[in-house]
Amino acid sequence: MNSQSKTAVIVIGLAIVFSLLAVFFYFNRNTAVPVRAPIALVDKTFLDVSTWRKSYADLVREKADLSDFDCYGCHEKGKAPPLRFDDKQKLIIPDEHKDIVMGHGSHGRNNICFNCHNENNLELLQARDGHDIKFADSPQLCGSCHGPTYRDWEAGAHGRTSGYWDRSKGPIERKLCVNCHDPHSPHFPGRKPAPGPHYLREPAVASAEKEPNH
Amino acid sequence: MSNPDSNNNGTPVVPVDSGITRRSFLRSSAVFATGIAAMVAGLKPLFDAADFPSAEEFMQKYYKELTPEEMVKVLARIENEVERQYGIRPHVRDYKPLDGVEYLYCLNLTRCIGCRKCVHACVAENNQSRDPEIQYIRVLRMPHGSLDIEKAEHRYAPESVPEKGYFYMPVQCQQCKNPPCVKVCPVHATWQETDGITVVDYNWCIGCRYCEAACPYWARRFNFAKPVIPKERLNPEMSYLGNRPRMRGVMEKCHFCIQRTRAGRYPACVEICPAGARKFGNVLDPNSEVSYILKNKRVFIQLKEEMGTSPRFFYYFDV
Repeated sequence: MNSQSKTAVIVIGLAIVFSLLAVFFYFNRNTAVPVRAPIALVDKTFLDVSTWRKSYADLVREKADLSDFDCYGCHEKGKAPPLRFDDKQKLIIPDEHKDIVMGHGSHGRNNICFNCHNENNLELLQARDGHDIKFADSPQLCGSCHGPTYRDWEAGAHGRTSGYWDRSKGPIERKLCVNCHDPHSPHFPGRKPAPGPHYLREPAVASAEKEPNH
Repeated sequence: MSNPDSNNNGTPVVPVDSGITRRSFLRSSAVFATGIAAMVAGLKPLFDAADFPSAEEFMQKYYKELTPEEMVKVLARIENEVERQYGIRPHVRDYKPLDGVEYLYCLNLTRCIGCRKCVHACVAENNQSRDPEIQYIRVLRMPHGSLDIEKAEHRYAPESVPEKGYFYMPVQCQQCKNPPCVKVCPVHATWQETDGITVVDYNWCIGCRYCEAACPYWARRFNFAKPVIPKERLNPEMSYLGNRPRMRGVMEKCHFCIQRTRAGRYPACVEICPAGARKFGNVLDPNSEVSYILKNKRVFIQLKEEMGTSPRFFYYFDV
């Protein structure tokens, strides 16, 4: 094989290689990155920093409708409202207070309204030692039974904190017990969790679930 | 096309000793041109994807070597760059550590309900990439009665949390006193500040990911692609070492919301926690809530304390 035909073979060989590459690149021009469904933005409700309840103090500050707290619009002054119980000593909640779920304390034992409300003045609360507490100062009432939690809350270790950790730069914003706990049924309710981390690659979800996490 | 070489008897047009004829030259040139065009066409996406830094950005000095005047220029350049890319004029600052402050984080495992609101508040505050997804906090779900991270699941998706029989343990950067990630960095692009926050100079990071491998808490995240942040979700309050938009190929991690905490505010994850499970403060202040927790509560672990990393992140129980 002389040098001329050798060159020709190399040139033709390279031509074939480049042509194949050209064909390969042409058909792969858009399929280089596997297509994955775009990750949706998280629902803005999960970014909301407000508490899920409003305390009486919040409502006063917002100048909101306080007609729900106008006890003597219906009740008669100076006369304790009667409480009625069924056969199992369960409190019968009157139709006017249907929104109240009595669930404070295990086994439903804390079922008398006047354990916390002042029966002689419904616009006040009453601690177990008999002294009156305003609605805006409700943590004192909670603390009269839940001492250790109240102590933690006062120190900032229980409950939500926002605002400034550096008190010289600004105030810390503390929330009241009733901002998070419904006083009639204080157990924290369940809620839907925000979406978890997405998979980097779409397929193999089933097999990845079975593998142990490392 | 006619073939003059073979039809012309006795009088060859081209000298025999030459290896290249006009015909073969033309043919091979055409083939090469086609091939190169095909290669260029095939490699074109690479050129499109690469976002080249500006000369100023490329020549920028190391964070610790920047003089205050140079820092002003750098911050202005970043503001312009963000405005060009997102159409929003941000407010970029370089927050320095405060004197007499060492941050500490406490997380109440009794209270955490696993709702993952902290994860998304963090993403919103710190301008992490939404797709590909980067999140600093990973919430682990573990069965009651053990603290075996091998049994943890972070992709739980029930209708309602908390679930019976499980507890939740959010894990993020533990801001170690003895950080393995800082030791392995070959270019000193990550270091521990005097207030205890381990930070990254994104402009100095070479993307070798040694720190990601060294971290025992799975707390560092790498930008494999250019981060995608929707314009309407961009947080314009930015810091140089914190939440300014990152580039492709750099490492990032939780920095205790440097732009908030060094301005005296609580981190975003603390503010949003609906259960009040997250507590943050200055451990050098004896009246701070974290000092109270360390003194009075059943603080039981620093995660993986046998590693000797000495985290500034404590998990505790209420009861």
